Parts: sequence; C-alpha cells; structure tokens
Amino acid sequence: MRRALALTAIAAASITFAPAVGAYLKLGTQLSSGLVNVRWKTFPIRYFVTNRDVPGVTAPQLQQAVDRAFATWGAVPNVALSSQFAGFTATGPVGGDGMNVIGFQDRPDLDRVLGATSFTVDTVTGEIVESDIFLNSRFPWSVSAGGDTGRQDVESIALHEIGHLHGLGHSALGETELLAGGGRRVIGAEAIMFPIAFTAGSLNRSLRADDVAGISDVYGNDRFRNATGSIAGRVTKSGAGVLGAHIVAFNPASGKMVGGFTLAGDGTFAIAGLEPGPHVVRVEPLDDGDAGSFLSASLAIDLDFKPAFYNKLVAVPRGGTARSIEVKVEPK
Amino acid sequence: MIRLRRFAASAGQVRVLAVAGMLAVLPAVASGQPRRGSIEFAGGVVWTGGYSAGSAPANETRNPSGGSTPLTLFQTDSRVLGAIGLDARAGVYLSRRVLVEGLFELRRPVLRTHLSGDFESAASADADVTIASYLFGASLLYDLRAGRAIPFVSGGAGYVREIPEGGDVLTGTEVHAGGGLTYGLTRGHRPLGARLEVQASERSRSVAFDQKRRILASVAAGLTWRF
Repeated sequence: MRRALALTAIAAASITFAPAVGAYLKLGTQLSSGLVNVRWKTFPIRYFVTNRDVPGVTAPQLQQAVDRAFATWGAVPNVALSSQFAGFTATGPVGGDGMNVIGFQDRPDLDRVLGATSFTVDTVTGEIVESDIFLNSRFPWSVSAGGDTGRQDVESIALHEIGHLHGLGHSALGETELLAGGGRRVIGAEAIMFPIAFTAGSLNRSLRADDVAGISDVYGNDRFRNATGSIAGRVTKSGAGVLGAHIVAFNPASGKMVGGFTLAGDGTFAIAGLEPGPHVVRVEPLDDGDAGSFLSASLAIDLDFKPAFYNKLVAVPRGGTARSIEVKVEPK
Repeated sequence: MIRLRRFAASAGQVRVLAVAGMLAVLPAVASGQPRRGSIEFAGGVVWTGGYSAGSAPANETRNPSGGSTPLTLFQTDSRVLGAIGLDARAGVYLSRRVLVEGLFELRRPVLRTHLSGDFESAASADADVTIASYLFGASLLYDLRAGRAIPFVSGGAGYVREIPEGGDVLTGTEVHAGGGLTYGLTRGHRPLGARLEVQASERSRSVAFDQKRRILASVAAGLTWRF
C-alpha cells in the first residue's frame, strides 16, 4: 500500500475561513468590517518560477506545467482570472519579497506535504498581494504527459496549490482510509481541492464541479450568478447547530456534486454555484482523523453524528437561493 | 288545374319532408344529442400515471491505485408518482359528431428520489419535491355513434408547464390520443352527461433527471353540460 500524502495550505496568521455564502470553502480574513473573502483584485497575477531543477523536472518544465495549471483555472467560464509568467528567479518561494514565486523547495521536515501555498493579505481590503507555492523536492516529481509510476505529477499538484493561490480552501468531497503506519490514503475524490493527493503516478489535471463552483463563487461575473443558484440552511442535532458538518448538494440530472460546510456554531451553511433544478442534499461529519485539513483545529468541530440525507429534494432556482432548509442529524 | 295539382303535389311533398325533418331532429333534442354549434363544458378529475425519472449514481473519481471504476458515494433512483388532478374543458360541435375543445389540467405530482447504497452507511431514504403541473391544450373528438351512450375517440396537442416547488419553470409540448364514453344523464336542451376518457400523452419534456420523450397514461372522469 502506498503512502498517503497530505497537501496542506500554510496560510498567514490572519487567514481564516470565511463563513460567507460559498460553494465549499473560501479563505477569508477578519477585517474591522467583518470577515471577507481573500481574493486577488489585480490581474493578471504575475508569477515567477524558481530557477531550480529537481530530478526529473527542469525549471522550464515546471514553468510549463504551472502555466497549464493556471490556464485550467482561467478557462472556467464566466470568471475573470488571468495570469502571466514574469520570468525565472533565483529566489525561492518565500513570503514578504513582493513576488509571487512558485518553485521546488526541500522540506524534509514536512514528510507528508507535497506542496503548500502561503499568502500575504492586505488586512484592510482582504486583497491578496502576494502568494508563494512550494513543491517539496523531498518527493520524486514528473511532468510526463502520461504520468510516471512512483512520481508525483507536477501539473496535478500545481493545479491544487493554484486553487489555494486564488483563495480557495480545501474541499471535503472525497473518501479516505486510515493507514496502519499513520496518515490517510484517498479512496476517491471529486474535487481538485481535496487535501489528499491520489497515489504517485496518477494524473488529476481537470477541475470538477466543486472546484468550478468554488472559483466561480469568488471570481464569477453576473452571467455566472444569473445562471446558477444556491442552497442555504442549517444542520442541527437535537435542536442545536452543528459546526463543521460537510454538506453535499448532488444534481442527479448532471451527476455534479458541490460541497459546503457549516462554518458557524448555529449550523448555518450556504452552497452557491449550483445548476438550477432539484438537488439531493447529504450531510456527513468530516473524517475524524483529518478535520484539521479543512477547518481550524481551534474550532469545536462536531464529528459525532451519522451521515444523513435531507428528506426533500431541494429545487435550486436560477439566479436565486432555494428556500432555507433544516437538516436534522442524529448522534452516532 | 294542372297548376293546382302540381301545387298540391308540391305541398304534400313539403309536408312529408317537414315531418321527416321533425322525426330526425326531435329524438336528438329529446335525448340531448349534440348538433352543429352546440357548446359543451366539461370538468372533473384526472389521474395521470407516474413514470421513471431516471437513475444516477453520485460518483467520485477513484484513486487510480484502487481501480478504474468510479467510487459511488450513493445511488439515486427517481420516479414521478401518479397523481390526481383537476381538468376543465370547453368545446363547440363543428358537426353532430365532431367536437373541438380547449382543455386545462392541473395536477401536483410528487418527484421522489430513493437514496441508497451510501458509501458511509447513511440510512436509505426518500427525498421528495412536489411539482405543480399545468397542461393547456386542444382536442378534437369524434362521436362514433349517436344515442344516450356515445363512444368517442379523441386526439390533440398541448403545452405543458411544470414547476418543482421553489424551482424554475420547465415547459414542453405534448400530443395525446385516446377515447372514451359520454353518457347522457338528463335530456332536454341543456343535458348533463358523464364522461370517461382514457388517454396516452407523449410529452417532449417533463420533470425528470433524464430528459427524453415520455408517454403518460391518464384517465379522466367528469361531467359535461351542453347547450
């Protein structure tokens, strides 16, 4: 059995998770006016690539894979995203230098971390002013079009990290199992932003509905908002709100799934970016060994309830929000 | 003389024809048979059968190290249940046997999705949403014979408008064909009747998770009033 490899976002101290309306998880920051989503406001996002080769991947190959990953996010319909390669640099992906740098870095201390994204955020406006991504050169990497057995695919991991760079948090649309030696192995996932990567050698280079809904929620234009709808409501247990519940909205007509979380103690949630039409709503606790991958460990996340379906189909209206629902769950 | 004789003969002919006409019309009026220009109103209940609304798995991409088939988080099997509604019709006889009518039908069927096979053992459950379903259409009826019990065949087309509770409007078209029986309950100039009709309706779109043409069966029963 292969190792489970966790992808984590290392964020600045001011970063937290925004409980505003959102398809899955958006990063947010606490301002005097309240929590706001962190996001880029100036485009194109200019990025540098560290001029450092690692076995199997040269710096130009890294740049090309990163460029494809940026292009994948930029190709989402009805969002305003653009990026521009600014050149190679000897600088590593470290914060505070005013440059957005993506590169390999040797981090033997993070023996389960393939890559990470850090931010510098304007604490007045919530604007991301700098972001850096490192890929851990402790692991073997590949840019092969078909993938290389035993090597992590640069483009797949860059796609995930660039999702963070744009202001997205982790998605919980995936199933994992605990490994005997520690860590978790992913069994299946339906979001690039799921925090655990597929087995080395696998390719995972396309966005899923959950990723598209998330990025569209942050950067979508009016056409996106007019074409999609949202679901909002509460998850409760014995009458009290459930914090940290994972909610999945599934459209049987298209097979698309989009997830969200209850991010407040009253159990409220909202999932945006949904296709119009009836949706199935399913609620589950986060994986008990991995809740910290999604939400702050300081939060009192409730893991003690059974997965459950909402007993109504929720018809999502085009350009609006479905009537608020209450999903009642039971203790395990 | 000759002229008078001819007149007399002609008058006799007129009387004969007039009596024959009376014989032809009087039974129809007396038994409430329709005639050209008769107006008929009808109203009653209609039951429309249910249909499969599609099955779909909630799939995740499986980690390639574990196989190539998707990981099914849960399975959905959906059905629109049969429902009773109301229908109203108004028509005019184009001839003694041919009626053209406009119709309006209102139903509130339930779209039910059965949720099962959850990967994390969530209990199987049903999730419902009520649909407001409207049909606006027109039909042509042909009475197969006269009498107190009048069998007929019918066919027509309509516009369907369906709205899942809280959701967006879905519109489509339909064509229908069927037949039934009208039975005179009273006689006179404004007879009441009972009408039973069975139809098959092919719909271009309907509330479902797989969009395809569907044939729905329906049975309508009600009263008619003609004048």
